[in-house]
Amino acid sequence: MSLLAPIICDNGTGYSKVGFAGNSDPSFVFPTAIATRGSAAQSSRSGPAVPAKPGNLASKRGVEDLDFFIGDEALANAKTPGYGVSYPIRHGQIDNWDYMERYWEQTIFKYLRAEPEDHYFLLTEPPLNPPENREQTAEIFFESFNIQGLYIAVQAVLALAASWSSNRVTDRTLTGTVIDSGDGVTHVIPCAEGYVIGSAIKHIPIAGRDITQFVLNLMRERGEMSQVPPEDQLKVAGKVKENYTYVCQDIVKEFRKYDVEPYKYFERFDGEHSVTGRKYSVDVGYERFLAPEIFFNPEIYSSDFLTPLPEIVDSTIQASPIDVRRGLYKNIVLSGGSTMFQHFDQRLKRDLKQLVGRRLEASAISSGSAQKSSGVEVDVISHKRQRYAVWFGGSLLASLPEFYSSCHTKAQYDEIGPSIGRRYKIFGSAT
Amino acid sequence: MILLEPHNYIIQTTLVDKFSKPTSLDVQFVDFDGVRFHLSTPERKTALLLSMHIHCWDELVRYGALDVIRREYGSLVQAQPEPEYNVSLVIDLDTAPPEGEQRDSFIHSIALMKRNALAAPFELAFKKQKELETSASGQGDLMAIHYRNEEAIYIQAAHDRVTVIFSTVFREETDRIFGRVFLQEFVDARRLPQIQNAPQVLFTNREPPLEIRQVPGLKDSEDVGYVTFVLFPRHFANLNVAAGTISHIELFRDYLHYHIKCSKAYMQSRMRHRVSEFQKVLNRAKTEAASSERKTVTGRTLQTR
Repeated sequence: MSLLAPIICDNGTGYSKVGFAGNSDPSFVFPTAIATRGSAAQSSRSGPAVPAKPGNLASKRGVEDLDFFIGDEALANAKTPGYGVSYPIRHGQIDNWDYMERYWEQTIFKYLRAEPEDHYFLLTEPPLNPPENREQTAEIFFESFNIQGLYIAVQAVLALAASWSSNRVTDRTLTGTVIDSGDGVTHVIPCAEGYVIGSAIKHIPIAGRDITQFVLNLMRERGEMSQVPPEDQLKVAGKVKENYTYVCQDIVKEFRKYDVEPYKYFERFDGEHSVTGRKYSVDVGYERFLAPEIFFNPEIYSSDFLTPLPEIVDSTIQASPIDVRRGLYKNIVLSGGSTMFQHFDQRLKRDLKQLVGRRLEASAISSGSAQKSSGVEVDVISHKRQRYAVWFGGSLLASLPEFYSSCHTKAQYDEIGPSIGRRYKIFGSAT
Repeated sequence: MILLEPHNYIIQTTLVDKFSKPTSLDVQFVDFDGVRFHLSTPERKTALLLSMHIHCWDELVRYGALDVIRREYGSLVQAQPEPEYNVSLVIDLDTAPPEGEQRDSFIHSIALMKRNALAAPFELAFKKQKELETSASGQGDLMAIHYRNEEAIYIQAAHDRVTVIFSTVFREETDRIFGRVFLQEFVDARRLPQIQNAPQVLFTNREPPLEIRQVPGLKDSEDVGYVTFVLFPRHFANLNVAAGTISHIELFRDYLHYHIKCSKAYMQSRMRHRVSEFQKVLNRAKTEAASSERKTVTGRTLQTR
């Protein structure tokens, strides 16, 4: 029975991706939300319910701790009287362990229908996760769920592994820069041989949610949104972002193209009122290329964050140890839904190349030497599995035979205790 | 969620998804008791092949699982199952029932595939009981289903009842204690007036019940327990009741383990709450460090080194 596929569980701030190793897509993607009885704030103050009176078990206490929903069902029940929705993960880290434990409980038993005793688990953690959290996770999984074995991987490293599926990747290395952009925040994370260079990580407060908001602003300014009912506007903006946008190479030229042949480039989006069913349609114009542009020219959207993405990537790599910088430039990997824009990789590569080229030139001039640098290879890798790259990387690594030897098993946990969860062997790189 | 649902969630959601938008697909997943599924589109996008591997298939076939599967799925069943799997269904999206209630029930019935396969011995036992009822004596054969490596279900029909015995093994010390409390609760809870009609439950630790004592190869150790359910004709009087009984009893082991885990989670959340309460008390007890600066007459401060 030990041959059952390992379970990959990638719990993010917004969405959880869960499924079995060996598949190319997660079996379930649902919000990391849990709807429990009683408001979220109240239950944490008074603690879980206590036994009321002695008797047999059914009357000893209620079954309030079983009365909850997770994922899409949680959001659907958000308005049911008596239920309160809470999000157990904040900024990538687990905030409420009680809820998270119950969230996992239902994920495993209701959705995956697996017996934890029969499976190995691969969980993910954000970079710079404190080791105490890892210990706590190991404790829950080994003691409450009695799982066979556990591996906790850093999300960025899994995203690097996922890029091996691209046919442009020839050597399977775990050195590279990961640009992970989800709904809330964008991280730029340098990894060397499977280890995250923590001191060089940079965050950008621009991600999916901001792009949607920006699209909404643009369409409102043009007056397109007047036809759309207010409660649907954000949804329409989200659809437009997902279906029509792309990254252009030159904004000025792109604007001119649209003005010369508007009929060729303007698109129409047809929608339906979610309540009344009334049809409406809106024009989609400049936002097609302006939306992802906020990564490259943030000043068009925000006034307090002004550094473009290529510059952040460049400064991240410059902050890393000098002996890995070449590897970091050569292997820049995209992950997460907000990096899915068409031509995103080409634009990033071009901008980065310019930055690097300029610096090489400047250093050649200032040193005054006649010898020229051989140049630095810059490559941005985009692949088909980008949206759930972290999960896919996990699925890829967990289907390798050496996965089992890198896991901590139940027996080891019993021998050493929760502190075993602090360290994990890096595996998967070809060297 | 108190009871586990009998149908497989992944099959259901995937089929609903594919009905609305057929794409090529190749996924493998599992169900309780080590059942493996493989859902793929080997030929074209609209023909889904769903294969199932089940640990005790040979035993189930002996008790008529194939007939049950054929009865439920008719022409969907493939004569030659996919290699490495025991049974395969082909679901053609083009010829499937139209959208609406009909399709929902079609999808639901496919999601119940594992339940239906395991239902065969129970149905056989119910039938046997009906036959024996007229003679008012005698016993059917003891059917053993080794649905997991170390655990088995034994089913025996008699003229007035059907006995179902689960052998359970707890690998963990804590689980065994929790399990024992739970199983004892099952026995006790039946004394409540509102559930007098529930099947009778007996629980023995280590000692196998009389019905299966003659079975060879029973493990004799402290961590083995036996749960006996005695089903009376009223529990399978009509088809609906019988189907409900089978769905619930099949998942008994998973139900038990699910609740053991839930209890552990509950206890841990109580403990976490207590720890944070105690921490507050401890923090209150901290004495303020006296931090008044001492000065000399001339106004210079004293420093301790």
